[in-house]
Amino acid sequence: MDFRSDIIVEYFPFFMEGMGLTILMSVVGVLMGCILGFFIALGKMSPILIVRLPFIWYINFLRGTPLLVQLFLFHYAALPAILGSTTPVISVMVTLSLNSSAYVAEIFRAGLQSIDKGQAEAAHSLGMNKFQVMRHVLLPQAFKRSIPPLGNEFIVLLKDSSLGAMIAAQDILYWGRAASGQYLRVWEPYLMVALIYLVLTLSLTYLLNYLERRLDVK
Amino acid sequence: MISVRHLKKSFGDLEVLKDINVDIKQKEVVVVIGPSGSGKSTFLRCLNLIESVTDGTVTIDGEELTDKKVDINKLRAEVGMVFQQFNLFPHKTVLENITLPIVTVKKWSKQDAEKKAKDLLQKVGLLDKAKVYPESLSGGQKQRVAIARALGMEPKVMLFDEPTSALDPEMVGEVLGVMKQLAEEGMTMVVVTHEMGFAKEVGDRVIFMDEGYVVEENEPKQLFDNPQHDRTKAFLSKVL
Ligand SMILES: Nc1ncnc2c1ncn2[C@@H]1O[C@H](COP(=O)(O)OP(=O)(O)O)[C@@H](O)[C@H]1O
Ligand SMILES: [Mg+2]
Repeated sequence: MDFRSDIIVEYFPFFMEGMGLTILMSVVGVLMGCILGFFIALGKMSPILIVRLPFIWYINFLRGTPLLVQLFLFHYAALPAILGSTTPVISVMVTLSLNSSAYVAEIFRAGLQSIDKGQAEAAHSLGMNKFQVMRHVLLPQAFKRSIPPLGNEFIVLLKDSSLGAMIAAQDILYWGRAASGQYLRVWEPYLMVALIYLVLTLSLTYLLNYLERRLDVK
Repeated sequence: MISVRHLKKSFGDLEVLKDINVDIKQKEVVVVIGPSGSGKSTFLRCLNLIESVTDGTVTIDGEELTDKKVDINKLRAEVGMVFQQFNLFPHKTVLENITLPIVTVKKWSKQDAEKKAKDLLQKVGLLDKAKVYPESLSGGQKQRVAIARALGMEPKVMLFDEPTSALDPEMVGEVLGVMKQLAEEGMTMVVVTHEMGFAKEVGDRVIFMDEGYVVEENEPKQLFDNPQHDRTKAFLSKVL
């Protein structure tokens, strides 16, 4: 079998562009996911069932339906209805943000609930209010414990962002499909696509391991 | 100083405190004893509202804790609590454990809080541990830091819930020593403990609780040497 490396050379700049977009969409997704996820975690931990219920179903929906289905829903239905119009990149970012917020919420909730109850009691007994206890006692500890699962979530998100190619967001996979379509070749473009994702996820894994060591996560 | 009237506390159907009436005077050291599950911890926790009161009233220094309008956080800051499990903040250094509530609740400057914290560490004999994290301390040292942390809020009264029960025997003395010193300085204290020696030596009064009631209370010597109730006798014969 002849291997046409010239296809890869020709498409290399596009792959790099696609990589930039993949990274951008994933980073936005995970950052927004963290911010939203934090509030959703708090909502789901409310002692009042009526308050808790919408958060429970938000999480159920986003974790219990396929990401590709969510992407189509947002891109073709929800976002055009809300914003009037949308672009593939916006749709991917919104979908990834909301989808990851559901997973991140569960990560934060588990982190918060893993902190010994005595910690909050001691803080309250010293006169700290709910906000202060959360801010100074629970969150720093819960966040540290959440870093390893958050890292996993980031890696999953990075790979899942490739679904964006299905609505023509010009990410790594998009350019692989373009190359494949132009030259009617399958091995070169898709191997290259796989390789770029692998480089990204492995780099991220090393980065996260380093971070965990630096922060002394147990 | 503290006045408890018809205090009742239930967890669901389980009535843990049935009708508690206790008065504690300023500078008094009251020791609470009783079998496990008799409601001693719950009683202490009601005194600084970690547990909500089901019925009855608790008044501390003229302020009615159970009043809905009362500022709970302010009241809690005035009532120090020391726990069996220390409950130090593991992500903060020893010094930060003490300064955190002083800065966040009392709104002192960082410098003033650190000065206060160092004075307190000196007092409990742990000034050299200011910069370390709790995990590197022994149980006795942790508990002394926890006492210093509670004292940082300059409470009117200190509550101790079995402060030495989680300690290796050789460390019990150092913690009781600090508590004794506090008592001598005139701190009002309520101490749940199984250390009968401490009760006799430091306590002004001993309260015996069983099944959610105060069964008997008296001066330590009277209560230990001459218990009036059968349940007190049975309990003392097991622990003394
Ligand atoms: N948060 C709670 N929920 C339900 N039951 C509790 C709770 N806290 C304590 N209890 C029950 O209340 C009773 C008294 O407990 P406690 O005050 O801890 O007793 P003591 O400190 O004397 O051992 C026990 O039967 C215990 O199981
Ligand atoms: Mg107890």
